Amino acid sequence: MKNLSLENLSKTYFDPYAGTTVNAVQDVSLNVAAGEFVAVVGPSGCGKTTILNMIAGFVPISGGRVLVGGKEVKGPGPDRGVVFQSFALFPWKTVAENVTFGPKMRGVGKAERAKIAEEYLALAGLSHAADRYPNELSGGMQQRVGVVRALANNPDVLLMDEPFASVDAQTRMTLQEELTRIWEERRPTVIFITHDVAEAVFLANRVVVLSKGNVLEEVDIDLPRPRSWDRLVEDGDFKGLSNKVLQLVRSA
Amino acid sequence: MTYAQSLWGMYVRWAAAWPALSAFAPFVPLIALWGFVVWLELFPRVFLPGPFEVLQTSWSLLYKGILPAYLGDSMVRLAVGAAAGMALAIPLGIFIGLNQRAHDATWPVLLFFQAIGDIAWLPILLVWFGFGLTTMTFVIVYTVMFPVILNTVLGIRSARPELERAAQSLGASRTRILFEVTLPGALPNIITGLRNGLGYGWRALIAAEIIVGTSGIGFLMFDARRAGSVDEIVVGMIVLGILWYIVDSWILAPIERATGERWGLVTT
Repeated sequence: MKNLSLENLSKTYFDPYAGTTVNAVQDVSLNVAAGEFVAVVGPSGCGKTTILNMIAGFVPISGGRVLVGGKEVKGPGPDRGVVFQSFALFPWKTVAENVTFGPKMRGVGKAERAKIAEEYLALAGLSHAADRYPNELSGGMQQRVGVVRALANNPDVLLMDEPFASVDAQTRMTLQEELTRIWEERRPTVIFITHDVAEAVFLANRVVVLSKGNVLEEVDIDLPRPRSWDRLVEDGDFKGLSNKVLQLVRSA
Repeated sequence: MTYAQSLWGMYVRWAAAWPALSAFAPFVPLIALWGFVVWLELFPRVFLPGPFEVLQTSWSLLYKGILPAYLGDSMVRLAVGAAAGMALAIPLGIFIGLNQRAHDATWPVLLFFQAIGDIAWLPILLVWFGFGLTTMTFVIVYTVMFPVILNTVLGIRSARPELERAAQSLGASRTRILFEVTLPGALPNIITGLRNGLGYGWRALIAAEIIVGTSGIGFLMFDARRAGSVDEIVVGMIVLGILWYIVDSWILAPIERATGERWGLVTT
């Protein structure tokens, strides 16, 4: 796991219908230490997904730099694992094949891949579903596959783009608890994009609030771990931090 | 009511044991209607033979070896033509689907030539190649190609972009993405293209055999017309239907079930 830094990151694009230039992201600088969990929140259109897409290398950067472990990023690469809101699992591959897709691309042999599949499916509690196809799984199970598929490729940084936004509320809470457990076990460097304030506070070490393409404020979350909803839902500190972040987002 | 129910129950149990029965059952009223119309003698028997006579004729055609030989000829022509058509069409479709410039350059031409369907080519082909195998093969290959090209292009171009992004972020190269992501995603469309292509190709073949014919099911039917044996024509028609049913339900449908439907890409 490596650190990630954004240096004066900007994104401008031309809107051919409006005939104007739009500044989606302006001069965003952010340092994420190795093994840190940072959540990025903000209202719709604040540029949070655009930032993630630039870090992932999916869209060109208009200004500034993205550095992973001190090395500048050019285009998508296996050093940055991505978890998508739409899961983006390969429908024609079984769960095990999805999880070992990254290692397969690196040329890891079959026997070794079977071991990797076993390890990461156990981590996600999906050992029984190894040979099923994604469409045979529930949304929550599909996203568990999405998370361990990214992890199984040993990325330096894990990028998560509203990964739990399309599952039901109960499943979402379970997935959040599982993600904190996995994070505590493995300590990956994580950037987690969400519009859900409680989710951001629950998961992260630090919450970054965005507003109109700028960093409005950063809030440190020093809640003890391991975290679980049973304990935190009535916790005074959790409520206080959530309220603070919520006020910031609403003022954004 | 209870009698009808017990009959229905018997049918359901039998159909479960022999799936062929449920495929045949819908034809029972059709054959009964046919027999009834013949029995009314609205038309002279030589114009409209009954089911029983047709069955007799098909038995004698089978027995003499004419039907198996002609059927074999037609099937081989279709198989060769379809294989050649697919071998040309799938790579071409992949190329056009992946390359925007190739797409812009060829799409109008493809649509233009798609419109000049199979048998519209026959007059000029007969002038060029005469009454022979070349003409027939050309027509089948041509007919199979277009639906396969057009559907392959559609499948490639409708790939979900986030799947490609996911593969890139997992370290896949361009080539690996093509084989691991783009092509499997296009497979249901390619299969639809094959199904249409084979269906059109089969019809084009019969038309070509009628006009060019020296053997084959189309020739059998047209030759029977010359001899005035309507029952042989009807046998030919029935064979066409049965054969397509077999190709569709024994070959194409299982492929679809094992791929697109299993992956949840095609809803049934």
